[in-house]
Amino acid sequence: MIFTRFIKYLKVTVLTIVIFSICFLKFDLNAQNSSIPVFGNWKNFTVKDGLPSDKTYCVRIDGDRVLVGTHDGLAVYENNTWKTYTSEDGLAHNGVLSIDVCKLTGDVWIGTMGGLTRWVSGKFENFNQFNSGMPNDLIYSVICDEKYVWVATGGGAGQYNTHTKKWEIFTEENAPMHEPWTYGVCAGDDNIYIAAWGGGVIEYAKKTKKFRDHVDPDGNMEIDLFPDDGVVHDITTGTSWANGNLWVATYFGLSKYDGVHWKGYFDHDSGLASNFINYVKAEGSVAYLCTDKGLSCTDGTNWVTYTKNKNNVNGKVVFTKGENIKEITMSPSISHNFTLGVDIKKDVIWVATSKGISRGELKK
Amino acid sequence: MKKTRLLILFGIILLLVVIIAYPGRKLARAHVNERTAVTDHPLLCSSCHLYTSQNKYVSKFINEDYLSPFNLDIMNDGEKLLVVAQDANALLVVDTKSKKVLKNINVGIHPHSVIIGKEEKFCYVSNQWSDNISVIHLKTLAVVDTIKTGNGPSGLSISNSGEYLYAVNTFGSDVSVIDLVSKEEIKRISTGSDPTGIALSPKGKNLYVTSRRAKIAPYGDPLISELTLINDNTQRLTKQISVPSAYLMENIAFTPSSDLAIMTLTRPKNLVPSIQVEGGWMMTHGIGIVEQKEDGKIIQLLLDEPNSYYPNPFDIVITPDGKKAFVSSSGVDYISVISMDSIKNILASTPAKKLKLYANTLGISKRFVIKRIKTGANPKGLKLSADGELLYIAENLEDKIGVINTKTLEKEQSIDLGGPTRITVARKGRRLFNNAGHTFQNQYACYTCHPDNHEDGLVYNMAGKDMGRNVTNTQSLREIKGTAPFKWNGKNQTVYKQDGIRFSTVLTRTEQFSYDDLDAITAYIKTGIKYPPNLMNNPSGELTESQYRGKKLFNRSIDNSGKEIPENGRCVTCHPAPFYTNLQLADVGTLSESDDPILFDTPHLNNIYSSAPYLHDGRAETLEEIWTLYGEEDEHGYVNDMTKIQLNDLVAYLKSLRGPEYEKSKPESYANVHLTNK
Repeated sequence: MIFTRFIKYLKVTVLTIVIFSICFLKFDLNAQNSSIPVFGNWKNFTVKDGLPSDKTYCVRIDGDRVLVGTHDGLAVYENNTWKTYTSEDGLAHNGVLSIDVCKLTGDVWIGTMGGLTRWVSGKFENFNQFNSGMPNDLIYSVICDEKYVWVATGGGAGQYNTHTKKWEIFTEENAPMHEPWTYGVCAGDDNIYIAAWGGGVIEYAKKTKKFRDHVDPDGNMEIDLFPDDGVVHDITTGTSWANGNLWVATYFGLSKYDGVHWKGYFDHDSGLASNFINYVKAEGSVAYLCTDKGLSCTDGTNWVTYTKNKNNVNGKVVFTKGENIKEITMSPSISHNFTLGVDIKKDVIWVATSKGISRGELKK
Repeated sequence: MKKTRLLILFGIILLLVVIIAYPGRKLARAHVNERTAVTDHPLLCSSCHLYTSQNKYVSKFINEDYLSPFNLDIMNDGEKLLVVAQDANALLVVDTKSKKVLKNINVGIHPHSVIIGKEEKFCYVSNQWSDNISVIHLKTLAVVDTIKTGNGPSGLSISNSGEYLYAVNTFGSDVSVIDLVSKEEIKRISTGSDPTGIALSPKGKNLYVTSRRAKIAPYGDPLISELTLINDNTQRLTKQISVPSAYLMENIAFTPSSDLAIMTLTRPKNLVPSIQVEGGWMMTHGIGIVEQKEDGKIIQLLLDEPNSYYPNPFDIVITPDGKKAFVSSSGVDYISVISMDSIKNILASTPAKKLKLYANTLGISKRFVIKRIKTGANPKGLKLSADGELLYIAENLEDKIGVINTKTLEKEQSIDLGGPTRITVARKGRRLFNNAGHTFQNQYACYTCHPDNHEDGLVYNMAGKDMGRNVTNTQSLREIKGTAPFKWNGKNQTVYKQDGIRFSTVLTRTEQFSYDDLDAITAYIKTGIKYPPNLMNNPSGELTESQYRGKKLFNRSIDNSGKEIPENGRCVTCHPAPFYTNLQLADVGTLSESDDPILFDTPHLNNIYSSAPYLHDGRAETLEEIWTLYGEEDEHGYVNDMTKIQLNDLVAYLKSLRGPEYEKSKPESYANVHLTNK
C-alpha cells in the first residue's frame, strides 16, 4: 500500500518535474531568442542545381527573385530556376561581390571585381575607373541611398549622384582614413558609415558633408585591450545600421554602437561563431553575421548560430544567452561554414557561402 | 584762294574715290575671296558686317523676335489651343474659332511641350532651359506654380490616375515622376540617351519614352538607340528596347486599340563614306512600329520615296478611329498621311524576314502613305481635335498653326499667331538650316546631323571613296562665331567656306547655296544659335569646391612634384577662355592610322559636358577616357601625375564650362568667395 502510494507520489512528482522542466525550458528558449527569428528547412544550391559557381559572395532578395553574386557571374533565382549573367551579357566583371536594389527605381547595382554595373530591365551599364569618376574597379560593397549610390572600393569610397551623374571620391586625401582601402558601406540616421581598412568606421554626415572617424581607442592590433571603449578593431570589414544601432564587423570581433556607447562581442564571451566576420547585415533589432565558422545572429543579448558538420550535410543551431547554451541538430544545415553574405525578407533567409547558397525558412 | 581750296577738296575726294574704287576694291575683293574661298562672292559688306553683328543695337535693328511655335495641346471641347512659343518663352492661348491669340502667358526659358491635366483645371509647360514646369490654371490663365524637374525637361505625359506628371529630361537622360498633389518630384527613372517623346498607352499601363541619340559605340559598331518602357502603376522601368540602325526617335503615339505604338525615326548611314550621298540612301527617314503583343517586333518602314526623301520626321498622331496617322516631316515642310489599315496589312501579310528588309526599302512608302500635304516652314508638334476631325500643326518657322481637315485631307485657313511678318536674313538662314531642299534628293538638312543646332553624337566617315578613313565626330554649331577655323583639320577659315562650294561637293551633292542663301545661313549660324544654360553642372556661375580645384589644375604650371610643366603641356595654353581654344592647330597624340597626316584644330570647350563622345574621331566615350585611356604619353596635357581625385576635379571643372556669353559675365566664383574670407 505504502509502496503503491509512493509510486503514485513519485509519478506525480516526476510528472510535475517534467511539466515544470518543459515549461521552464520553453520559457528559457523563448527568453533567449525572443527577438531573433530561427530558420530551418534549409535548402542548398550549388553548381549542380544551376549556380554558375559554388563560390558565392553576396545575396540580395529582390521581390520574387533572388540575386546571387558568384565568382563566375550574377545568378538570378526566379520561378525555381537559376539564370546566369556574365560579362558576355554586359556585366562589368564575373566576380560579383555586392548587390543592392534601389527602392525608388528598382535599378539593381552590382559591385564586381572589375567595376560597377547598373542592371535595369535586362540592360547593363558599366562604370569603371577609366570611363568615370569612380574611385576603383574593385567594388567590395555597394548600397543605394535615395538618389545616391555609394561604393566601398579598393581605392576609396565613392558617391554617385544618379541625378547629376557625378562621382565624388573619399580617400585618405580628403577623409580621415588610414588608407584608401574600404570594405563596406551602409546608410543610416542621416549618416553614411564606411568600413575603412585600418581606419575603423568613417562616419559621413549627409547634411553637413563632414566626416568623423571611429577607431579602436586602444589602438592594439592583436587584442581589444579595453572592452566597450570603441570599435573593437581598426580593421573593419562591414557596417550595417538598423533600429538606431550601427553594427560593425571586423576580423577580430563584432561591435555595436547606439550613437553613444560602443559594445564589443567576441567568440569567447558570446554566441558569436567566430571573430573572423566577413559581412554584417542588420534587420530590425537583429544583426546577422557571416563568419568563417558559420552564421550568427544576435540582438546583443541572445545569440543563434548556424553551423554545418564537417563530414555531412547536417549541422546544428546553437542558442546562447549568457551561460545558457542549447543546441539543436539540423538536417540539412547551411551549405558551408564559410559564410560571406546574407539577406532576409519576412519568412526567408538566404546565405551566401564559399560552397553554394543556402535558403532557410522561418521556424514557427 | 577759295577756288584753290575747293579744288584741293575736290582733289581729295577724287583721290578717295579712286582709292576706294581701285586699290580699295581690290583689297576688299581679296578680303572677301579669302573669307569665302571663292572669287565671285558679291562684294557686299553687309553680308558679314551687318547680318552677323552681335552689337545689341544693330542686332535689334536687323533681327526680329519670332514666336516659333513648337508643340501644342487642345482642350476637349476643341475651342482653345495651347501653343508653346519656344522663342518667345510663352504659352499662347488660341481661340480656334476666331483663330485669334487670346492670351500670351510668360513661362520659363525655351519651353518645349504642354499638356493639359486630366480634369482640365491645369496645364503644364516644360521649360527646357529652366529645368522646371510651369503650372497654369486654365480658368485664370495664370502661372500658379513652378515645379522643379531634372535637366532639360521636354516631353510630358499624365499618369492614368491623373495624379502624376511624367517629364522627360532630355539633357539628363531620365524621366522625372512628379506628384501633382505635392507638386514635387518623387523619383527619376533612367532612359535611353537624349530622350524627348513620351506616350501613355490608352489602356493606361505602359509609357514609352523615345531617345534621340544612339548609344555611344566605337566607330564601326552598329548603331543602336533605346526605347524605354515604364510601367505606369509601379513607376519603374520595365524594359529597354534596342532599336537598331536608328536615332532621332523624336515622338511616339499609340493606336486607340493599343495594339501598336508608332514612333518617328531617322536611319543614318554614318559608316558609309559621305561621298556616297549621290548614290542615295545616306540618310533615310521613317517610322518604327512597336507591336504590343507578346514578343512583338519593332518594324521600321521608310516614309521616303526613291528620289524624294521626307527627312526629320518629328511628331506623330493617330486619329481616334485608328484609321490614319499623320507625321510632320519637318525637313521638307510636309505632313505625311499614313493609312493605318495599310500598315496593318503590311505587317500581317509580310514574312518577318522580308519586313526587316523594308527598313531599307525606299519604295515601301507608296503602300501606306496616302497623301503628302504641304505646310508652312518646319512643321513640328501635331495635335488632333478630340473628335479627330482637325489636325493642328505647329509651323515652327512660320509662326503659324496649320490646320488640316482629316477627312478631306485639305488644308484649312492657318492660324496666324501674330509673329513678325518680316523674314530677316538670319530667319531665312534658320529655315535653310532646317530644310533639306539643298541636299541631293532632300536626303537631309543641316538639322539632321546637328539636331537642336548641336551635334548628333555620331562619328562619320568623311573620306572620299575609302571606307573608314578620316572618321570624324560631329561638332556642335552652338555659338561658334569666335571659334574659327572650322572642321577638325581647321581647313575652313570661315563659315562661308565651310558651307560654300566644298560643302556641296562633299556633303549635299547638289547645287551649292546661292550667295544670298549662303549669307543667310552664315548669319544664322553665327548669330542665331545659343547654348542652353549649363544648369546641371554650373547653374549660377559659382564654382563648387571641386570645380574650383579643377580650375586650378587647368591653369597650373607646376606638377604635383613641384616640377614646372612645359607651356604646351598646360591645359590653359591651348584652351584659354572665353572659348577655351587658342584657335591653333595641334598634335595631341591622337592621330590614328585611318587619319590623313594632319594636325587637329583645338576645339572649343564651352558646354563640353554635352558633346560626348570626345576627340576628333569620338574614341573617348567620356571626358575621363581622354586621359585614362588616350593620354598615357602626356601629349594631350600633362596629367599623369594627377590622383583620381584631381582628375575628377579637372573633369568637374571642364563640365562646368558654359557658353562664352555666360563666361564673360561671371558672378562670384568659389575662389573669390572662399579665398577672400580666409
